[in-house]
Amino acid sequence: MRRPVLLLAAFAVTALLVHLGAIVAAPRVIMALAIGKLGQGGAAVNRFQFSRRTNAQSRDVVRPSPDLAYASCVYDLEKGPLLVEAAPTPGGGYASVSVFAGNTDNIGVFDTIANPQGVRFALVRAGEPFPDKAVRLQLPLVVSPSRKGVILDRRLAPTQAAFDLADKARRADRCAPL
Amino acid sequence: MKHGTSGEVHAHWAGNRLTGRVGADPWTRAQVALTGLLALNPSQAIYFRRQVDDSGARLRENCRYRIAGGALPGRWWSVTVYAADDYLPLNHDDALSFDATEVQRNGAGRWSATVAPDRPAQGAWASTRNAGDFDLTLRIYNPTPQAQADFGAIAFPTVERIGCNKTPRA
Repeated sequence: MRRPVLLLAAFAVTALLVHLGAIVAAPRVIMALAIGKLGQGGAAVNRFQFSRRTNAQSRDVVRPSPDLAYASCVYDLEKGPLLVEAAPTPGGGYASVSVFAGNTDNIGVFDTIANPQGVRFALVRAGEPFPDKAVRLQLPLVVSPSRKGVILDRRLAPTQAAFDLADKARRADRCAPL
Repeated sequence: MKHGTSGEVHAHWAGNRLTGRVGADPWTRAQVALTGLLALNPSQAIYFRRQVDDSGARLRENCRYRIAGGALPGRWWSVTVYAADDYLPLNHDDALSFDATEVQRNGAGRWSATVAPDRPAQGAWASTRNAGDFDLTLRIYNPTPQAQADFGAIAFPTVERIGCNKTPRA
């Protein structure tokens, strides 16, 4: 009688631990897959890639918005901090640049409403000294807890004409060593 | 949203105030990773999702729905159809969503739009062709501080079922 109860309890505890492990691990695993896909397996790191207009066939990331123009930069801070820049869309359409750490956390976000002249900031890894250049240029700093992550530029583009405007503006985006 | 400690449902729209935030709990993180990777934090956008109409019935491709509402607390908003696989429905209708710039408002600021597999005679439309059992996502960008703090204060759009065909389209 006692042995089946113990076996059942052991099974329940194991199942719970596996469940909790999966919950904790899932964001990092899924983010790593996204980093691999958006960064073209490491071939496109520390530079922006420009997505085509979102349509029914868009499958890079779940639940894409068809009303936004996306540009993404997979970052790797192994060789030091990055300077990130994005110009506004002519006409004042909403644009934001957001930074996502390896655990999916949105660790920084800037938009062209608060920064109508464009977005400009430095990205540095946690534990690393703040770069002199960033301090000298008075750049806002985003501190990443992970070496790798994703920077995403979103621009309002609900029509083809709006997408064309946003696309032209985002081509000036920069994500490169400081 | 079911597991997140800050997940909540208002008028059938489910949202989570911790989405994208550094302090998100493990369940919220896992949920976001699975169904909303790279979601913004609430200072930039708040997200709501629903799978049922106002009567509580599952949203289905073979039915037509009227979405109606008033002013929403942000600079811009959109409503998008997603199929059960969390991607956009595979159709060529070029009507995957409707947004604040598309809807016609009456004198009282009220608007309505159609969510259905076929284009309506007039008005904003989001196509559900090939969507199967689908859900709707409401995105509100640059939400007001009150909306960020209290989802219950948002006057969410209603989703009324107009009618259904007996079987989904081929």
